[in-house]
Amino acid sequence: MPAPLPDDETVHHQSQRQKRRGRVIGGGNPMELNLTSMIDVVFQLLIYFIVTSSFAIGEGVITVKLPTGPGTPQQSQKPPEQPLKIVVNSAGAIGTGYRVYIEGLAGRPANFKELAETLIQLQYDPSRGLNGAYKPDNPVIIRPETSVRWQHVVNAFNAAVKARYSNVSFAQAKSAEE
Amino acid sequence: MNMTPMIDVTFQLIIFFMLVNNIISEEAVMMIVPELEEPKTREMGEENRVTVNVAPQSYDPDRGIGDLNIPGEAAMVKVGLEEFRLDDMEAVTEALRDARSRNKDIEVMLRADSGLFFDEVQPVMQAITSAGIVKVNMVAYLPEDQR
Repeated sequence: MPAPLPDDETVHHQSQRQKRRGRVIGGGNPMELNLTSMIDVVFQLLIYFIVTSSFAIGEGVITVKLPTGPGTPQQSQKPPEQPLKIVVNSAGAIGTGYRVYIEGLAGRPANFKELAETLIQLQYDPSRGLNGAYKPDNPVIIRPETSVRWQHVVNAFNAAVKARYSNVSFAQAKSAEE
Repeated sequence: MNMTPMIDVTFQLIIFFMLVNNIISEEAVMMIVPELEEPKTREMGEENRVTVNVAPQSYDPDRGIGDLNIPGEAAMVKVGLEEFRLDDMEAVTEALRDARSRNKDIEVMLRADSGLFFDEVQPVMQAITSAGIVKVNMVAYLPEDQR
């Protein structure tokens, strides 16, 4: 007479198929990947790149004809008649402000917009109904003080370009004492 | 829970940010270029150009556009990927002359911080003209509606 099997052994005696089904019913899939750590890493990367990336604000350019410096051959041009000289001085306690005026002209434009308007009024261009004394290809020379901030220099240049002068250049800077 | 679509999207985002980070030009030094009243700036093509940066002494990421309240001295000049000291303008001219001998139609993009003093930028402009480069473009922000 065989000895009686212990209770728990009989309960666990199942076929392979039963075992598989039992696991499925139990919810544990043996083939499931543990993605948690990968997702963690991926999120770290994502956050890193979001935080470190910064988008550049669109920059554009204004085309310049620079004055001929040493090293370039000087073209034999006839001296230009009466260039328009725009003087830019720095102002304010830390030099972040500016004062701008056109040499030999009364009145001081309050900002670069007014400067551009003045320059347009000085221009001679019948096609646009302008009866000033200066042709569009008349040289315009921007003469900044040494301590003027670059922004104001480019702004003065921009005003001249905006007024459709085609020959805009820079003069040597003058120091504040002059 | 089906994670696959979320992981797909996340990877796409990562790849996007990695690429964008690299695309933002390595030639450009961190600075704030001038902001103009009624700008007449235009966008510029990639070909035939060499960037000349006049870098400010330090770049403060919290500084707003148009804020000029910085020490106005420059720190260095960078031509393409090469950096130069400020008292070495001959080398800048030489580098630009090299660039010009390789490409005759080369244009210079002059990037200078808006807060720099004019006499910091002027020697650089002189170095550019000394190299015989005719086309110089000053960099400033585009008009608001074109950014």
